[in-house]
Parts: sequence; C-alpha cells; structure tokens
Amino acid sequence: MRKLSLIGLAAIAWCAAPAEAHAFLQHADPGAGARLAIAPTKVVLRFSEELEPAFSSVAITDGSGRNVAAGPVLIRGNAMLAPVRLLKPGTYRVAWHVVSLDNHRTQGVYGFVVKP
Amino acid sequence: MAHGVVGQRFFPATITTDDPFAADELALPTVSSFDHETDIDVDYSKTIVPGFAIGLGIGHVDAGSPGEPRERGFGNLEISPTLEVARDDQHEFILSAALDWEIGGTGSKKVAEPFSTYTPTIKFGKGFGDLPDSMAYLRPLAVTGTVGYAIPDAHDEAKSVEWGGAIEYSLLYLQNNVRDQGFSNLIAHLTPVVEFNFSSPTKNGGGPTTGTVNPGLIWSGQHVQLAAEAMIPVNRASGHGLGLIAQLHFYIDDLFPHSLGKPLFGGRK
Repeated sequence: MRKLSLIGLAAIAWCAAPAEAHAFLQHADPGAGARLAIAPTKVVLRFSEELEPAFSSVAITDGSGRNVAAGPVLIRGNAMLAPVRLLKPGTYRVAWHVVSLDNHRTQGVYGFVVKP
Repeated sequence: MAHGVVGQRFFPATITTDDPFAADELALPTVSSFDHETDIDVDYSKTIVPGFAIGLGIGHVDAGSPGEPRERGFGNLEISPTLEVARDDQHEFILSAALDWEIGGTGSKKVAEPFSTYTPTIKFGKGFGDLPDSMAYLRPLAVTGTVGYAIPDAHDEAKSVEWGGAIEYSLLYLQNNVRDQGFSNLIAHLTPVVEFNFSSPTKNGGGPTTGTVNPGLIWSGQHVQLAAEAMIPVNRASGHGLGLIAQLHFYIDDLFPHSLGKPLFGGRK
C-alpha cells in the first residue's frame, strides 16, 4: 500500500509539473458538420495548448475549392480567428494545422453548410 | 503501448497489444487480474532518434491455482526496439518493425522462463478518416495490428505466431472532424476500444491458439491516459472467467517536451 501511495504521489507531482503538449481542437465555431441558417462572418478555433503563430494557420474554402478568407488569420494564445467573406449557401471546408509551443504538430479538416 | 499522431488521427496507447509508434512514454502501472494470476507491469519507451525508440518492460507476477501455493516474483526483463518504416498522413497509416526480446533468466526462477525469446514483429495503424462522405460516421474508426513470430532460445519450446490488434472509435475525431456532438471535454477524449491478443503455436503439440478479447475504454488527456478493459478468454485453453486490466499511462513527450520527452538525437519529427 505504501508503494502504491508513493506511485500515486509521484503521478500527481508529475501531472502538476508545467508542461506543454499536442494542441488538440477543443472548440470550433462553426462546428464540424454544422448546418447554419445564417452565414458566419468568421471561423473561430480554440485549442488545448498555446499556438506557435508562425507555423499555425487555417484555410476556409467553398465547394469549388476557392479560398473565402476576408483577411489575415489572427492567432492569440490558444485561439485562432479567420474572418470570411459573405458566404453564399453551400458547403465549406475548414482545414487547420497548428504547432504548439513545444513543436508538436496537429491538423484537422471538417466541413459545415450554409443553408439556402 | 505507444501513442502518436498520423495526419488528423491521434492514436491512444493500447494496453494489451503494442501499437506502431516509437514514442516517449511510461506505463506505470499496468495491472491485470485474470485466470488466478495478478500482474503489475511497468513499461518505459525512449526515442533515440525520430521514428526509433527502445522500450523496456518488467512485471511482477502473482499466480496460483486454487488450493495450490501461490508463486510470486518478477518476470523477465523485456527490451523492444521499434522503428517506424512508413507513414502516410493523408491515409492515416503507419507501419513499423520491432524486435521484442525477453531476456531469459533475468526474472525470478519461480515465474520467469530461464531461456530468452526473440519476437520479430510487424506493427501497423490505420485510421479511416479517408472514407467518403456517405460513410462519415465510420471515419472515427481506426485499427492497429501486430504480427510477430516468437522464437524461444530453447529447442524443446514451441515457436509461435503472436498476433493481435485493436479496433477503436475516437469520440474526439467524431466531435472535431465529422460532426460536433456537443460533447464535454471529458467525454470527447474517450475512445471505446476492443483489443484482441492471440498466441498460435506453430508445431504439433504446441497446443491450440490461445488469447483474449478485451473490450474497454481509453481516456486520453493532454499528458496522461487512463484505460480499463475486460479480458474475455476465447477458449478453455486461454483461461477461465472474466479478467480485468487497467493502466495509467504518461505521455512523456508532452510532459517533458524539451528534455526527457524528445529524441536523444535529431530533434522532433
């Protein structure tokens, strides 16, 4: 039992230690698979870790593969904001790739729909 | 064990079977209770260069049938170099080669074999994120597999094919890449999994194929992972009754990305 307690304490100390990690997507607006009656003006992604802005980005494209960005992607802390043009009804694709401060890379793709 | 990312796919560390990543990680402990035997194992894996890691494992065994004296002691030390030989991000595929070496005579005489066993092994992982839109809800599925040939360093011991794998469904992948289900962070990081692990002797008299099928759950956080699975024997020769296996697993590459968690040489991939 004493050994198990020591292991438990070591585990807690380890987990409490300051660390970075893979940046996983925690929240997206619009979210994956969303079907929206009102077209969004921006795509906001929030990650589990702080991002390295120089190596992180997102591209939003329409059904024809055309970029619908309305300006540069803003990255602050663990969040990313991409303004988009007035979106017509159709299917859109969000492709992001990020690097956390400790140089772990992650990426993802999802779609959303703007309804007529 | 091993965890890793290929393309959009995060593969959690499976607990009964090895998966194909060369990673920095520590499984401490893995506790299993099955067929009158309780094991407590520790496994550590260290990357030497990106894509190549060496694993070390040792365990304590407490075994005995009802009515018989129990036998306790440490098992043999195991060393497992693993080399990632192919990766395809687009198709979420990874292939690796490994050599598992159980060093005979390093454990207790009561529970460990006096001879060594060498098991050259091929491992793979495949996510199904490349399925078409019509099968979008199957995209969170992934499989890992391992096939090895165990060669004991003793003439009277049977060689065997060691094979197994895992089928897993990532709720994180479902939430982030297919359709936002509104899962909380706690739920989104769960991966239902079924692992299976078999040993098939290759010579007559070596006995039948034995193994277990293990359904369970893996919760993967930013730095640690918790997993628990039931162990169901596939036949009488594999054991009796239901078993349980659980593991606490540390992602050393995430806990100590600038020191212990990075390859000794060559930086991060």
